Amino acid sequence: MKIPSMISAAKRGTLSRRAFTQSLLAVGIVPVISQVAPQRARASGTGHATVFTWGGFDVPELYQDYVEKHGELPDFAIFGAPEDGLTRLRSGFAADLIHPCMGDIPRWRSTGLFQPIDTSRLSNWADVIPDLYQEPHNLEDADGGVWQVPFDWGQTSITYRTDLYDLEGEESWDILWDERYAGRIGMLATGDDAWWCAAIKAGVPFDQIDTDEAFEAIAAVLRAQRPLVRTYTDDTTSLNQALASGEMVAAMTWNSSAVELTFEEVPVRFAQPREGALTWVCGFMMTRDAPNPDSAYDVLDALLSVSAGEFLTGDYGYGHSNARVLDLFDDEDLAALTLSRDPADILDAGHRSIPQSAEWNARMNTLYEQIKAGF
Amino acid sequence: MRHESLRGLLLLTPALVILGVTVAVPFLFMGAMSLWTQIGFDYADDWSLRNFTAILTEPLYTTLLLRSLGMAVAATFVTVVLAYPMAYFLAFHVRSNKLIWLIIITLPFWTSYLLRVFAWRVILGYEGVINSGLMELGLIGEPLQFLLYSRTAVIITLAHAWAAFAFLPIYVSLEKIDKSVLEASADLGEPPLMRFFRVVLPLSMPGVIAGTFLMFIPTVGDYVTPALVGGPDAAMIGNLIQLQFGTVNNWPMGAALAITMIVAITLVGLMFLALMYGLRRWAR
Repeated sequence: MKIPSMISAAKRGTLSRRAFTQSLLAVGIVPVISQVAPQRARASGTGHATVFTWGGFDVPELYQDYVEKHGELPDFAIFGAPEDGLTRLRSGFAADLIHPCMGDIPRWRSTGLFQPIDTSRLSNWADVIPDLYQEPHNLEDADGGVWQVPFDWGQTSITYRTDLYDLEGEESWDILWDERYAGRIGMLATGDDAWWCAAIKAGVPFDQIDTDEAFEAIAAVLRAQRPLVRTYTDDTTSLNQALASGEMVAAMTWNSSAVELTFEEVPVRFAQPREGALTWVCGFMMTRDAPNPDSAYDVLDALLSVSAGEFLTGDYGYGHSNARVLDLFDDEDLAALTLSRDPADILDAGHRSIPQSAEWNARMNTLYEQIKAGF
Repeated sequence: MRHESLRGLLLLTPALVILGVTVAVPFLFMGAMSLWTQIGFDYADDWSLRNFTAILTEPLYTTLLLRSLGMAVAATFVTVVLAYPMAYFLAFHVRSNKLIWLIIITLPFWTSYLLRVFAWRVILGYEGVINSGLMELGLIGEPLQFLLYSRTAVIITLAHAWAAFAFLPIYVSLEKIDKSVLEASADLGEPPLMRFFRVVLPLSMPGVIAGTFLMFIPTVGDYVTPALVGGPDAAMIGNLIQLQFGTVNNWPMGAALAITMIVAITLVGLMFLALMYGLRRWAR
């Protein structure tokens, strides 16, 4: 942890309780703490929906329309990774909305825990970019609605220090496998990102990822990388601080790390690897037994609004699903954020993960954990 | 007599009910689950020992288990050795305001466990207190990398975070020692060092043993500390168990790992007791 940056953050008044808990949550200390909050909220009978999401998506800026209508924020519960969230839901935790990514939909639907979302109840739905939700597995059996309302989209790629990392040739996934910088590489801890990025590095086509050869090839590149890795974490705060201090010269991150570090004037670039980045679309699904569905629809509408999108894109650097948000930024801004006026430009230029079975997911996660532990 | 035993039972009932509901029943359920198999999102209750066979044969599980036991032993040893002199000082050399001393020594425990672990990140970090101090003094050219994200970091953090659990039982058993026994030993011509080894140490052993157990048992399964300061080479069995119930989504394997851990802790505990018993007999 970087003391000068913590002190200056405290001076600026930006060192928040949120940033601190976010770090804890991201390293898997979720079940211990967040167990209490939403249950207390329910007991008070506020009638607010509980939004189960990533740390950083629980900020007022994303829920302005909701606050205007209901006077206060919805309730939040935070997970470190969506799979943790699903496990909690399956063990009886009651939330209204949860925030997985597009590739998870078929597998999550098979749990029977979710209900389709009636898009006619969302006033902003007409502005939602169709490319982001028109996937067969998102529309089938959804009674004309969708299973998941798209919210954010972006890339998983490499954030590297332009002053510390000596780039030879083109940007490529090789940056994260560069032996010159052993011990100064950061990696994301969930297989949802790391496994697919390693598949790109290993040259495994995504439609063949469910084969024994693919498992072997991807495991081999991840094993080769392990001695170079400083730490595996999903805590973006830790990764950002390590990059800012020079403890790490490059790390696998999402868009927001590069954007936040650039705000802090750290010389970094969000790489556009020649093999293509991993691209993703995430959004919200509604639980079958949602305790407060009406409030949940208001939350979704607020999330889809232009004001929420302006914050998501401007401050976090993620794409938003409302087409009108893109009109607020000029081409230069969007390019700097590694976004584009047509999401397809970005999403199709990279690789999008393909839905897999629960068995594949279990095998992948088990293997990735083994590799991280050194086997 | 019958009346009294009935009253005893009645007094015990609340504790027994709570113990049954919160420990025995979940434990039985966990035992049953450890014999199942995870298939996708469902369990096959095919009652097999498959999970346990995997734990005993696959190097990942045995390595992490042995590593956790080793790290907990190290942390416990360091803590007991450091806590003993503190407790000794407080029990024999502090005459007034003992309460204030006790409060000062246990002060770190007034903050949350997570905060204490986080504080060590600030101390051991790349731009942390130790590294920036050494750089300032010109002793090192660039920050020491091995401080954070290592097994040493986990052992240091555990030793600090759990110190009071070792300190308090040792202090209580030292405090209880009848001072006239020490005087008698001095009167009989025992030099101070021998007096410590032949009188004080044996009489305080119950506290040392209690402190060792109180510290060793929870640290084996700790997952917060290795998650925050551990790094790839310091993962412990607790991290693996937590993953089984989260991302990896294999609850039967998680249950089997937890049971294996309990058995391993029991075995190590029994070995420690046997060692202590043997030492006592040898000392006589």
